[in-house]
Amino acid sequence: MSDDKNEKKVHGIVAEYTSVDSLLVACRRIRDAGYTKTDAFTPFAVHGIDEALGIKPTFLPWIALGGGVAGLVTALLMQIWMNGINYPYIISGKPYISLPAFMPVAFELTILFASFGAFFGMWALNGLPRFSNPIFTDPRFDRATDDRFFLYIDAKDKSFDQAGAEKLLGETGTEYINTVVDDDSSTTVPKFLLTTLIAVIAISFIPALVVARMRVTTSSKPRFHIFPDMDFSPARDAQQTTSLFADSRAMRPDVPGTVARGEMEENLDFLTGIQMELLSSVDADRAERLVRTYAQEGEPSEKASDQGAEPAKSVMDTTPWLEQNPIKITEAFVQQGQLQFNIYCSTCHGMDGRGNGLVNNRAQQIMASSWIPPASMHQQSLYAEQYPDGKLFSTISNGIRKMPGYAGQIKTRDRWAIVAYVRALQQSQNASLDLVPENQRAEIKAEQARVEKKLAEQAEAERKKEAE
Amino acid sequence: MSLAIPNGLNNTVERPGERAPLVLGDTTYHDITEAVCQVAERPPGRAWMIGFLVAFALLNWLGICIAYLIYMGVGVWGNQAPVFWGWPIVNFVFWVGIGHAGTLISAILFLFRQEWRTSINRAAEAMTIFAVACAGTFPGIHVGRAWLAFWLAPYPSLNLWMWPQFRSPLLWDVFAVSTYGTVSLLFWYMGMVPDLATFRDRSKNKWRRMAYGLLALGWTGSSRHWMRYEKAYALLAAFAAPLVLSVHTIVSFDFAVSQVPGWHTTIFPPYFVAGAIFSGFAMVLTLMVPARSMLGLEKLITIRHLENMCKIILATGSIVGLAYGTEFFIAWYGQVPEEQFAFLNRALGPYWWAYLTMVSCNVLSPQLFWFKKCRTTPWIIVVICIFVNIGMWFERFVIVVTSLSRDYLPSAWSYFHPTWVDWSMLIGSFGLFFTLFLLFCKLMPVINMAETKSTLAKQLHMSHHE
Repeated sequence: MSDDKNEKKVHGIVAEYTSVDSLLVACRRIRDAGYTKTDAFTPFAVHGIDEALGIKPTFLPWIALGGGVAGLVTALLMQIWMNGINYPYIISGKPYISLPAFMPVAFELTILFASFGAFFGMWALNGLPRFSNPIFTDPRFDRATDDRFFLYIDAKDKSFDQAGAEKLLGETGTEYINTVVDDDSSTTVPKFLLTTLIAVIAISFIPALVVARMRVTTSSKPRFHIFPDMDFSPARDAQQTTSLFADSRAMRPDVPGTVARGEMEENLDFLTGIQMELLSSVDADRAERLVRTYAQEGEPSEKASDQGAEPAKSVMDTTPWLEQNPIKITEAFVQQGQLQFNIYCSTCHGMDGRGNGLVNNRAQQIMASSWIPPASMHQQSLYAEQYPDGKLFSTISNGIRKMPGYAGQIKTRDRWAIVAYVRALQQSQNASLDLVPENQRAEIKAEQARVEKKLAEQAEAERKKEAE
Repeated sequence: MSLAIPNGLNNTVERPGERAPLVLGDTTYHDITEAVCQVAERPPGRAWMIGFLVAFALLNWLGICIAYLIYMGVGVWGNQAPVFWGWPIVNFVFWVGIGHAGTLISAILFLFRQEWRTSINRAAEAMTIFAVACAGTFPGIHVGRAWLAFWLAPYPSLNLWMWPQFRSPLLWDVFAVSTYGTVSLLFWYMGMVPDLATFRDRSKNKWRRMAYGLLALGWTGSSRHWMRYEKAYALLAAFAAPLVLSVHTIVSFDFAVSQVPGWHTTIFPPYFVAGAIFSGFAMVLTLMVPARSMLGLEKLITIRHLENMCKIILATGSIVGLAYGTEFFIAWYGQVPEEQFAFLNRALGPYWWAYLTMVSCNVLSPQLFWFKKCRTTPWIIVVICIFVNIGMWFERFVIVVTSLSRDYLPSAWSYFHPTWVDWSMLIGSFGLFFTLFLLFCKLMPVINMAETKSTLAKQLHMSHHE
């Protein structure tokens, strides 16, 4: 055994003691003998050993202080930046940078970072973790964590000489002295352990890689909904059916008697487009019915079938319609009508009112059999002389043929505005130059000439193109 | 009664001019090593096996309930307008409170040089960590969309383009509880390293040796290491002491910062901290009394240790009782009608039964600890401590539910009904706690051997000088 040892590098000498007191005596002996690279190994912290071995205090508290300060600064900067500068939260009119509210987190992070400083600083200063240590080669050293005390003199000490040190330790009441030599046991990690470790690390990257890949690529499929959150609401959409109501409509009509804000109009003529006083003398029943409908229930119950052109022509013809728009026509009012017409009417009737809206075009395209083409606004029968404003208003409100009533969607005033705009549209297609104020006639003529010229040029260009 | 220690195990008799021994019998350093290591080295006993199977089954049930909750949504709980903070938050506050005793024993009693803490601090710290794990579960799943709980963290989010709101006590809570969990874990682990080295050095089995060797980080017991280690330990204790006070203070801010009658009171921070220590000590005793006899540690965890903890329970229990009284006084003195109603409603309203349970368990039952017989008889201690645990759970229930169910808007008032998921999760959280604790008992050093040996060294040193 001793031959074997001589070939290995000697790291130091270790001696074993059985009590704290004998260890402390021995520590003082070797300290006084001038050894400085010494250490004692004990199963618990022995008080007084720092002095006995000459161990200097540690600067660990400064690391902890540094950690604490770093934590405080981090927390304050983080909160000021996040809540005061980058994304200012408005909370009860408090200042964005409200230090009192930032104190709890600042306190916690101070403690956290200081604790990290103390914990990791201690291990770093101790040079741990260190799994291969020559001292472990000593066969009795296992008891250093149980009930024995060991004293160690390092061979690197400048006054180290093996025989002298052994002699010195021999005088301190120890029964066991041994030299500490190189650890020649293998330090490599077992192969399968290494393989498993690498495999686990490699596999753990796969989900992250898949996610990263999916984030930068596009897909024609809808995205996954592992947790649908509130993306898919069980509530029905407007045009869907439901079994909850007898009429199967998911979209509920107004409750009878509902009056929208600002819609409380006493004037029945305004609401119906009919001269009510006249009507009561012509058709008292119908007038009464209308009064009840509008005044008490609020919802027009005169359905399209009730006054639709075909089935009740006579009623329509005998109704004393309002001849004039009850609202004063101004430019703003007509523009409002244009806006509403473009929103609600133009889809079928077309922007110009000729009945060539997108819905109509589509219906023609697919040759929908049940489609009734929307009327053109520019036919004579719809001009004011044959189709009074009140009747037009009533048609917008209550619908006709395939067209539903728009009373529910368009406010009363706006329906009158549409009437005004339709009149303007009709005028626009048939107006003679005489209707234009004299001082603007030249301007219009010039515009007309310019457009005609442009059209001619276009026609010429196309002709040439075809010829080529 | 003679002054000599009868039957060798009673160290509760005060002898003037002498410190009562904390390690009993003719114990040597090696005996301490043996006593603690045999717990982990023996094959598990029948009691441990049964306990573990039950706890593990409950833990699995908790897991199933959480999966069910995440799949179905929080509607499976009894949380319903106006009580949106039902049992999940009750359980959270309950478990965080339990944790506090561990830090108190390991940090504050360490700073006060209370050496009797040495043989109980390890298990108490472990209990802290497991209690914080139980506590952390509840807010995590209470956020509704549990898979987005990471939104609480201040990270630059590409989805939200915004940061957490640092003026919210709920966010303070995130920082407080996670800091507390982390520091407790560091403290616990650091304290265990020398003992893990003992385990390593005693291991015969190669794998066991390797596992404990890795955990022990190559600890040798070098005096130079011990010096820095002790410094770090003292520093961590000094940091953990204000930390433990801050954590339940911040938990109480969740309530106190709100405007709800019965919550909006300045007494909450100290009252919560006292309650936390109170419930934590009760839980330590509930665990320790059966454990010490099951694991054969009576010589290290002595009757004196139990008695000291009973005294702390008596003191904190009385503080809690005083706080209940003060709340009523302030409600009367403050002359805010809503506040007065809230407190009268707590005691006499529809939840009178919960209030009665709380007061009788928390205020009345610990008063039995005025009698030495009650402080030194293990089974009485356990019974009283279980009552205290029940009472402290009810305290949180009373605070959360009575205030919310009767807030400013009478048309919203209602009565809280827990569902089977609420029950399952409360019981399941005990499964999580006991699974971890039983594993700890079997795998880790349940008593701080190094510190107990140094206590013994001092004891030997003093007896030499007599």
